[in-house]
Amino acid sequence: MTPGAAETGPGSVPPMSRPHFRRAMAAFVLVALAFLALGADWRTPPPGEGPETIPVQRIDGEGYVAVNDLARILDATKFWRADVRKLVLRVGPHTMVFTVGNPFVLVDDATYWLGVPVRSKGGEVHVPVALVDSLPVDSTLARLIYDGRRNRVVVLPASGIVGSPRFTLTEEVTRLVFPAERADEAVVVTRARAHFRVRFSGVFIGALPDSMPAPSLVRAIRPIASAGGSAFELAVDPGARGYRLLQDVDARRVTLELSRSGGEGYEEFAPQDPKGERRLHVIVIDPGHGGGDAGVVSSEVAEKDLTLTLARLLEAELEGQGVRVVLTRSDDLDLAPEARAEIANRVGADLMISLHFDGYVDPRARGATAYSPPASVAEGRSRLEAGTASGAPAAASRVTLLPWRDVSTRHAVQSRALAEAVLSSLELRGLGPTRLREHLPCELLGVNAPGILLECATLTASQDRERVTQEAGLKQLAATMAQGVAAYRRNE
Amino acid sequence: MKMRRALIGLLVIAMLAWLGWHSWRGRTVPAKPVSAAADSAGAGVKAIRLFFGAANGDSLVSELREMVEPSSLHDRVTMLVRELDRGPRGRGVAVLPAGTSVIHVYLDDRGLLTLDLSGAFRQRFRGGSTAEYLAVASLVRTLGANLPEVERVLVVCAGRPLATLGGHLPLDRPLDFSDWL
Repeated sequence: MTPGAAETGPGSVPPMSRPHFRRAMAAFVLVALAFLALGADWRTPPPGEGPETIPVQRIDGEGYVAVNDLARILDATKFWRADVRKLVLRVGPHTMVFTVGNPFVLVDDATYWLGVPVRSKGGEVHVPVALVDSLPVDSTLARLIYDGRRNRVVVLPASGIVGSPRFTLTEEVTRLVFPAERADEAVVVTRARAHFRVRFSGVFIGALPDSMPAPSLVRAIRPIASAGGSAFELAVDPGARGYRLLQDVDARRVTLELSRSGGEGYEEFAPQDPKGERRLHVIVIDPGHGGGDAGVVSSEVAEKDLTLTLARLLEAELEGQGVRVVLTRSDDLDLAPEARAEIANRVGADLMISLHFDGYVDPRARGATAYSPPASVAEGRSRLEAGTASGAPAAASRVTLLPWRDVSTRHAVQSRALAEAVLSSLELRGLGPTRLREHLPCELLGVNAPGILLECATLTASQDRERVTQEAGLKQLAATMAQGVAAYRRNE
Repeated sequence: MKMRRALIGLLVIAMLAWLGWHSWRGRTVPAKPVSAAADSAGAGVKAIRLFFGAANGDSLVSELREMVEPSSLHDRVTMLVRELDRGPRGRGVAVLPAGTSVIHVYLDDRGLLTLDLSGAFRQRFRGGSTAEYLAVASLVRTLGANLPEVERVLVVCAGRPLATLGGHLPLDRPLDFSDWL
């Protein structure tokens, strides 16, 4: 027996097949998790979340799916030949051919017997549900599973699934291990401790714990909306100093590791303030638009005029709090965003608030919206390991290069706190509804200070417009915003 | 007598084995590769997902629509933008500036789609940041949902770079679908 053969005894796995075996086992575990998750009501994702499903109809006692549903979930193009009652579905490199009255389906180069014939009902072709077992399995095609208990076909998208995270806790480190089929596509999108966000390309089918045990550096975790795939927002303990995302593609898992000490190998969280009152000496107020740029105009009310009037009222309110206020414009001027940013940077602003009034195509939209810079991991940033070029060992000191355009993202945590404080103040006064969007606005490009763009009300909504076009309404708005700034300053 | 019974038994077993084999063979019959074109009559029909603005301006709402699928990328993008311009059939509101059309599209090998829109996109935009946010989000999310080969979108207008649509949100960089909820 050769040494190599000695390793492949009974009960062992040949070395060459181990990765395949692990992948197969991981796939099996993920599919089993999917079934477990779908099989119990308390774990079934609410409507609008989790995997998509399509209904299975009973025709003469047999299960069928409507071909329009099938084509939609497979993202297939349909070709119909009425003369021979033949339907072709084409998805990427795959082709499926069905003929009404025929129990056989042609999938690529193989013929499968479906047990019962393809039927036409109500003018629509219906395909036996047994088809889901005959579909090819590859990255170009969504995977389908027939869930007999719910009598639905469940779609596992080509981007795969994400299972329930498993927590591993020590005094030093908290690890969250997510089973994820596309482990390499997981990414940290926001690194603020209070709103730490991780995004996956797969669909989440698991469950999240309601509470965390004692030494955990994760205080809470919840699923959040994501454009494709799934995303989670974590509230991270202030004691955490660093994080890292470990992607194990072979084992199909993603580990998010949070450390109390951080250091080499760990990423840093977004900078945040120390506790206690925040320093506010200079606030820059930017009345939006101006000059030839009137902004939103509704019922002869121009946004540029309202922003300037509101800015003056807010200036008086804030000066009453002992703060120096600088306006980017005090006349009807059209300033470029760069000029506004330059003013804020030159005076050393501790805050910048860009005032606007919103407008929308539907008059039912009303209320206030704040935009704050995201605490994202900046695209295109690079890290220079000190000493690496000179041959010295890589030291802990690192330099993060950030385009000046995005400099306000350095202040993302404070900016969000400001947005929340001001919006909360508006809500308490009944000046909502309010929305917060973490999106870098033009007015904060190149501004090296915490800041927000605030749409103070919606001019295209008659209720809002009537309020802010009256002096009392505008004064109330300015006073309410100043209270929000004061709450931000107190760092409550 | 015993010999005769044994022969009959063997014959029955052989027949059952033949029937079983024949039945099994019938379930998975190797077939010739299918030429979809030969089975296709005219153009195919496909469900597309379009994103429009919610009436209250909070978010996007999606709508499915069955369309004849064009063959080229340019025609597919043109169709999607045209349907957005036509507006919703359901509960959403049209947020793309009226008259917006596609001049040119280019997809590079890293999935970056450069989308050149007509001047109407910039000239006919009206509204504040919510209208602006949802107009861009509607466009970007619709492209992302229907063009799996596209990773990011760079919007240009009438052949020129577009710094912003309404002055609130920068468009000078490629847009990632996931940033527009």
